[in-house]
Amino acid sequence: MQKTLSMMLILFLSAWTSTLSAQSPDMQPLTTRLGEPTLEEIVTRHIDAIGGKANWSKIKTIKTEGTMKAQGAEIKITIYQKDKVAMRQDIAVMGMNGWFILTKTEGWNFMPFQGQTKPEPMTADDVKQAQDGLNIQDDFITYKEQGKKLELVGKDDVDGVECLKLKMKDAEGKETTYYLDPESYLIIKETEKIKANGQEVDNTTTYGNYKKLDEGIVMPMSIIQGYGETEITLYEINKPIDENLFKPSKS
Amino acid sequence: MKKIILGLLCVALSQTLFAQQKINASTFGVLEARCLGPGTMSGRISAIEGVNKDEGKTIYVGTAGGGVWKSTNAGASYKSIFDKYCQSIGAIAIDQKNPSTIYVGTGESNMRNSVSIGNGMYKSTDEGANWKMIGLDSTEHISKIVVDPVNPNTIYVAAPGPLWSDSKHRGLYKSVNGGETWEKIFYIDEKTGCADLLMDPNNPSVIFISMWEFRRTPFSFNSGGNGSGLYKSTDGGKTFRELKNGLPQKPFGRIAMTLAPSDPKQMLAIVESANTGLFISSDGGETWNAQSATMNVTARPFYFSTIAFDPKDPNRVYRPAFSFAYSSDGGHSFTEASSDGGWVHSDMHAIWINPAHTNIIYVGTDGGVYSSMDRGVTWQFQHSLPVGQFYHVAYDLKEPYNVYGGLQDNGSWMAPSAAPGGIGNGNWSRVGGGDGFWTVPDIDGQTVYAEYQGGNMTRTNLQNMKGVNIQPQRTINEEKLRWNWNTPIVTGAKNPKNLYVGAQYLFHSTDQGRNWKRISPDLTTNDKNKQQQEESGGLSADNTSAENHCTIFTIAESPLNEKIIWVGTDDGNLQYTLNGGASWKNVSAQVALSGVAKQAWVSSIQPSHFDERTVYATFENHMYGDHQTYLAMSQDMGATWKRLNSDQFTGFAHKICEDFENKKLLFLGTEMGLFATLDGGDNWFRMKNGIAEYALVRDIQIHPKTHDLILGTHGRGIYILDDIRAIRNLKKEVLDQDVFLFPTPDITLSNGKLGWGGPEVSGGWGAGNPAEIPAITYYLKERLSSGKASIEILDAQQKVLQTIPATVRKGINKVYWNLRGTPPRVAAGSIKMEGAGFTAPMVLPGNYTIRLKVKDKEYTSPLTCVHDAGNKDLSMADRKLVYDKAMQLQQLFNQINDAIDTINAEQRLLKMDTIVFNKNKKMKADYAALQKIKAALVASTKTSIFADEERIREKVSALYGNFCSMEAKPNSMQLEAIEVLNKEFIEQQEKLNQILEERK
Repeated sequence: MQKTLSMMLILFLSAWTSTLSAQSPDMQPLTTRLGEPTLEEIVTRHIDAIGGKANWSKIKTIKTEGTMKAQGAEIKITIYQKDKVAMRQDIAVMGMNGWFILTKTEGWNFMPFQGQTKPEPMTADDVKQAQDGLNIQDDFITYKEQGKKLELVGKDDVDGVECLKLKMKDAEGKETTYYLDPESYLIIKETEKIKANGQEVDNTTTYGNYKKLDEGIVMPMSIIQGYGETEITLYEINKPIDENLFKPSKS
Repeated sequence: MKKIILGLLCVALSQTLFAQQKINASTFGVLEARCLGPGTMSGRISAIEGVNKDEGKTIYVGTAGGGVWKSTNAGASYKSIFDKYCQSIGAIAIDQKNPSTIYVGTGESNMRNSVSIGNGMYKSTDEGANWKMIGLDSTEHISKIVVDPVNPNTIYVAAPGPLWSDSKHRGLYKSVNGGETWEKIFYIDEKTGCADLLMDPNNPSVIFISMWEFRRTPFSFNSGGNGSGLYKSTDGGKTFRELKNGLPQKPFGRIAMTLAPSDPKQMLAIVESANTGLFISSDGGETWNAQSATMNVTARPFYFSTIAFDPKDPNRVYRPAFSFAYSSDGGHSFTEASSDGGWVHSDMHAIWINPAHTNIIYVGTDGGVYSSMDRGVTWQFQHSLPVGQFYHVAYDLKEPYNVYGGLQDNGSWMAPSAAPGGIGNGNWSRVGGGDGFWTVPDIDGQTVYAEYQGGNMTRTNLQNMKGVNIQPQRTINEEKLRWNWNTPIVTGAKNPKNLYVGAQYLFHSTDQGRNWKRISPDLTTNDKNKQQQEESGGLSADNTSAENHCTIFTIAESPLNEKIIWVGTDDGNLQYTLNGGASWKNVSAQVALSGVAKQAWVSSIQPSHFDERTVYATFENHMYGDHQTYLAMSQDMGATWKRLNSDQFTGFAHKICEDFENKKLLFLGTEMGLFATLDGGDNWFRMKNGIAEYALVRDIQIHPKTHDLILGTHGRGIYILDDIRAIRNLKKEVLDQDVFLFPTPDITLSNGKLGWGGPEVSGGWGAGNPAEIPAITYYLKERLSSGKASIEILDAQQKVLQTIPATVRKGINKVYWNLRGTPPRVAAGSIKMEGAGFTAPMVLPGNYTIRLKVKDKEYTSPLTCVHDAGNKDLSMADRKLVYDKAMQLQQLFNQINDAIDTINAEQRLLKMDTIVFNKNKKMKADYAALQKIKAALVASTKTSIFADEERIREKVSALYGNFCSMEAKPNSMQLEAIEVLNKEFIEQQEKLNQILEERK
């Protein structure tokens, strides 16, 4: 069961972190001056690249639909996010539907393809660990108010691009390393170090195919994790989400 | 107008520069080397430190040539955390107050002849995830780091300094700001460094240091001199005074010392002198008493410099040295560890005792890490550290081929390059002993030659693993043969039946070493001043053939002409023969004219595959304190030489390797990295590709059949970079394209040749297998940050069989097609994942098309799939039968899912108005009848994934899965089963049709 939960968490984390990145495809390269950018400049340029703070501040809900392919088979994923309130992720495979719900105080998951017959609650620790995921806003916009620390640690190659490497650490020591394209300032990759039950695991997500939405924010249409690529087919912004979706039911 | 022309010129120049800069490691980043390890025989360990607060679960291991490894589970598994930096590690220290902060001193200080060098101090503030260089970059060797436990910004570093030359960068260094700045606080002279360092944990102002005068030359070693001594400071290193009371007459050599953390006045020191011995102090080093000790306690002090007290018990002392000894009476007597746990590798250099549980000890040896749960009495080997120190690597021509190599202090071994389940520790076989060096298979496929230190060499029959010594012997009136520690034994590149070995003369055999013929005069300088090895060692005699000099070090037969043989020596001579040894020409003077140091070792020679007169050679001069990367080429049989240089190069050069198909493709291995050029040497780049970036690359081979790049490293074992044709074929016309789809070689239709092999054995080092299907390979000029990319496989009728997500990295991309079409869909109705939904039959031999879509453009390439003629269990007719039956089953599976969908739809319709439904018996009956059919078609009642509930769909799915993976003729009952299932389905379909008909 723990494995199932972890997998759901990974999917969940990939979903919320997907909201971090953005760029207008027709945006001009920003590294036009000599010298390396400072941390503050990188943050500013990244926020500009994903559509700007003003546009992001208007985002209250996001519905995301995507498809993951595994050896030709398709898995449908739908994510509902209500900023700082709740989120839900549905996974449909072979006619079965599983889901994962997180609110500020509780969390549940239901994985029928794992033999589950009823929703199971998350532990208080897991709920606490996952709370960051309720924040729709880009971490680079809100990291200071969240009490997180950001550090420029150098450069590293990702997919052939010499990326800017930044490390963000929250008050409890959880670390996420971001790799930003030095021209577009979009996130190409992020690695989250997860410490749980005495183990240390790196969870890596790669982003691509950025697209500017009508709302002015820029989002990745391709999200890759260890088990494959999820192709995003829809971002629906600021449409009302039925509150009942954030309550556990059997199907 | 002129301004415009100049502007255009600038553009043209910038484009040229851009073009030159295009190829680098990231261009080929998708190619990731496999590290074969092994973990069976690991490598020399130079430092072990653990985090005290963490119950001892977090451990950092520093290695002689394999960087730093971290375990967060007390050694159950390790992860390399220093891959981007110098791999030779001298010391590790953890700030135990804030254990996220770790210091690493590079440059091992076990000063044997093969020790590597470092480039200073590094610091991490995030448990090893990121590192910053913090100075002392000229020290070359660092032996100890001590962090003040009270004020952790105060750090002391003991730097013995360079081994091969005078240097002012030796001594004791101190930082008071966490390594931001350093001050050298104790220094003797350019020959004497700081070898050991202790701090009184109760009073961090009290510091003990041992100073050591030492020096190696290529032909001698000296440990000892008047500079050596033991010193104490009581003011945090401001002043030091020498401790002499009770110690023997100087000169001293190396001094190893320790104090008891639980009673810091208790000290022990092993002092190398004319009468090397163990000394005990009970007053904080003020007075010392000699104590008799066993040979193991005092032996080889330059190499065994570790002794430690138990953190809690001042009577318990550990001496890891040639073997492991411990004392329970404060060092007055020692006992050897038990062998009950099995053999423990000799030659020990590092120890860490878990302060929370002092029964638990880790020791670092020349062959890896061992752990003890009983205070060092018995030991268990940790099998998962792949830090073996190879000198050379070779391959055979079998399928899969084997790799061969010799390791420092770990003999000679062989292993397959691929094995069922991947290559694990158990796949390695030992084929030679001692310090293993050249290990070369014979073309007969049954014989291997292995050499160990000082020219000892065996021919081993791989059928019975019996070896026989085949070393050539001195003939009458002949000088004593001089054998290098790392004596070459080499087969011919043109005629592999030629076997060569070199002393100061070259010997040749055509019958596997049963008879030898001397085919050269003395090819060395024969400088008698460099042949006094029996005097070597300094205060302690130490002459283990490592200092043998004026010997042949390199032999290379031309791949084009077996009569052309090149020979290089360890004293600067490079000679060739054009007539199989009848006459020789020395071109060392011509080499020196190119700027290569004249006495440099000729570390490798690569006669060209394309031109008899072209030759490449590497030279290394680090034993004279010169770390330049010497690589040169000649195109006129050595008459003139041109240096090949690059600002990318780091480390002295070990090996040059020319590709056998693309003469512009060269690989260079140095003490600090692997480099490649695609333009014959004008532009070089550091290869990364999953390889430690500063790996000590001692040998490089390219397999002629698989096109694999095989690396023998001195600290990271053997790497294989599978199939480098993507590198070889990256020509300018490809680089100029935004997208280029490379031709895909014919694909043999097979599930692979290796089989499954079962799960890996836990606890060992495992390397995966190479991909058994050729990749679809393409080049992208830039990473695709917007827009989609995908790959479609089309059949001969241009129908899309499968769509595969395409990777979008800059440079080379590789994507694998599983040789199948799209799996069938699975209708809702079960609580189990259905295997059929993830597979499809393997396609039939024939012509296909690869269509790469990048944004709105398409690129196509033909692809031919061929029958696996090598599989005698599957004829072409069998393959066709299997395919047809699998497709028949897929069709049946689809029909079942259609029926289930129909039932689901009808049931939803019936229940659309529940009030009507609940009142209508007929509707209820229909619903129940439909449910009964569904229950016959698909498992729908069991809730456990471990509960078998097989209905028609599950049976069809299982049989379909069998046919999809079948690589043999199906048996008759499997064929009949299709008909049985078809009949069962038809029965249910007819029932369904009847209900549907009635409901019309």
